Amino acid sequence: MNYDLSPRERAWRDEVRAFIREHVDEDLSRETREVGNEGRGPRALKFLQALRDRGWWGLAWPKEYGGLEKTAVEQWIFIDEIETAGAPMLPLTATSVAPTIMRIGTEEQKREWLPRISNAEIDFALGYSEPEAGTDLASLRTHAVLDGDEWVVNGQKMWNTMAHMATHNWLAVRTEPDAPKHKGISMMIVPMDAPGVSVQPIWVWPGLRTNALFLDNVRVPRSYLIGERGMGFYYAAMALNFERLSIGSIGMARRHFRALVAAVKERVVDGRALREDPWVRERLARLQVEIDAARMLGLETAVALDRGGVPAAESSMAKIYVSELTQRIADAGCEILGLNGQTHAQEATALAEGRMQWLYRIAPMLAFGGGTNEVQRDIIGFMGYGLPRK
Amino acid sequence: MDFEFSPEQQELRAAVRQLAARQCVPERLLAWESEPAGVDEATRRQIADLGWLAVGVPEAAGGTGGSLVDLACLVGECARALVPRPIVGAIRAAALLADLEPRHPLLPQLATGERILAVALDEESAREPRAYRSEVVSSADGAAVSGAKAYVPDAAEADLHLVAAREAGGISLVLVERRAPGVRLAPIKTFGGDRQAHVEYQRAPVTGRLGAPGAAAVPLAGAWRRQVALALAEMVGGMEAVLEMTVAYVKEREQFGQKIALFQAVRHQIADMGTACTAARHLAWQAITRVCSGTEEGTELASACAYVGQAFKRLCWTGHHLHGGAGFVVEHRMRFHSERAQSLCIRYAPEAPALAEVAAALLDG
Repeated sequence: MNYDLSPRERAWRDEVRAFIREHVDEDLSRETREVGNEGRGPRALKFLQALRDRGWWGLAWPKEYGGLEKTAVEQWIFIDEIETAGAPMLPLTATSVAPTIMRIGTEEQKREWLPRISNAEIDFALGYSEPEAGTDLASLRTHAVLDGDEWVVNGQKMWNTMAHMATHNWLAVRTEPDAPKHKGISMMIVPMDAPGVSVQPIWVWPGLRTNALFLDNVRVPRSYLIGERGMGFYYAAMALNFERLSIGSIGMARRHFRALVAAVKERVVDGRALREDPWVRERLARLQVEIDAARMLGLETAVALDRGGVPAAESSMAKIYVSELTQRIADAGCEILGLNGQTHAQEATALAEGRMQWLYRIAPMLAFGGGTNEVQRDIIGFMGYGLPRK
Repeated sequence: MDFEFSPEQQELRAAVRQLAARQCVPERLLAWESEPAGVDEATRRQIADLGWLAVGVPEAAGGTGGSLVDLACLVGECARALVPRPIVGAIRAAALLADLEPRHPLLPQLATGERILAVALDEESAREPRAYRSEVVSSADGAAVSGAKAYVPDAAEADLHLVAAREAGGISLVLVERRAPGVRLAPIKTFGGDRQAHVEYQRAPVTGRLGAPGAAAVPLAGAWRRQVALALAEMVGGMEAVLEMTVAYVKEREQFGQKIALFQAVRHQIADMGTACTAARHLAWQAITRVCSGTEEGTELASACAYVGQAFKRLCWTGHHLHGGAGFVVEHRMRFHSERAQSLCIRYAPEAPALAEVAAALLDG
């Protein structure tokens, strides 16, 4: 029974930390707090470039594709360190799209797309959700019909984050209208500059931009359907597998919690150090304990992956726990900082980097996004404890 | 980072689980409750013969020299199966004495179950040793203990009491014969399956000592942390048992013409129980392994106490709720676990001091 990092894991963590020390500075942190750039301002792009130069986009990729084939625990360490430092996370192009193409693409498709991903020539937005297909993704309606050697795509996608900066969309489309709904979907690459593609901004509560994507008779080559026809729903589920570690990561919440603790240690209210307030002490201690618990759930997922398992229940546990804990941290943070807790990040007087009110705004998304917590609880019941489905 | 028990530990767990499950059937659980000693003599003998009491005793003292992790495997399985608390008390007492004095002459007898040791620490108004009022006083006749200890497990069954009391400006650990003059016992009815008593010592003669007079506070604190770590293993064992029996029940119970597991409201409570159990298990074993190897990095033990104790109790509430009336009858295992959840939590893992320790590490550095 061993809960300590191995020498190899420790060395890797130190390497990641050294990289972060070298490449994350106050300017980058300030930029990521600014509204509207989605973590893709010039400094963030420079940071992502540095990660790429280091070969870390391919952290989880198999060696035959130039990846580092890190273990899940090592990937967990990387995600944890990056999030704890508040640095930009690897793009989904590298962590979700590329490994899916490696798994399911034809040799020709791999040759066409993987080098362009590796050299950052192209970047994807993920087009899954639709106005009428959220949690029930398999009911999506955007469809593609073969016309000669081209697919003709029509429909609308929602929450197509980064579409306004991406070169391509990784799109789930219905290609087999007569098949059962889970078996009629395919994955398709759609260039953003193809005629008929348009993007409309959607601004959401925490000050982030996402998009609606419209596809009006968009024509793409037949070979842009990746993998097998009708398997798209399962490919999307597989891609989710690659995201299991980041979706249940406590790193971001812990970073903001640390900022909160640092602020509390400095703050004096009514002539008394805030950290001496018994209510504040108890509330922070409880949250710290819960952060410790969340960390264990994330590690459980990583260790299970390294054992060769598919930790569906475990990663759902981490996702639920982290999302709901983030809400509690945000709420406690605003309250503990009192009137200052409502302050936006750009105000010079904001404590804890002005992040508490922001965390309060983004926390609900963590619970309904990435597979609602209700679905996650179902998964735990079915996969973790063998509860009957019918 | 592997989260795996060693093959030997897996073997120990499996052996204990198999045997304990055979022993601890509902009618015996009820029968043990009405035994004055909390367990019948034959069972005590049988378990002693299996060597369970010797696991925490060094080989040189007649034991099998298990580590804290081995002990935790043992008591965790005992808790899962609801092995009588006095048996676990004997395992714990032997381990505590071995922690404090690995070559103590009493250890071989504790390892075989020939003699029973009770550990008398708490007082009605003192859990911290610095607040103890009992004291050791020396005179021409030798040293003697005076004072009152409270909630002492297995005090009446024991041959000897290990008593912590004030002396020489510090705390001493001394041995007192249970039948010595000046030892008066008042058994108290508590829940949780152990047999506790309040003990009054009136110039009870000291027949042995652990360490120099007044020098026991630090070693006792260390040994207590290991006892707390064992409680974490017990609580996790209980949590796993409650979760398993609740999952089995909702899969079998039918209402409105279907298994209640099909109701999403029920399924989601199972999911939350599973999440709490998983987090508790890892926090507990992380703390146990770090305490075992002396490699604690921060407040792992306090954090585990704060989480696991509360999680176990919440899990039991949910378990009761999902079992409904079926789990409410006296012979049902649910309520044994619920009682133990609370009594283990009160004694070994109270939330307030655990949170205070976490808060101090966070804010006072």
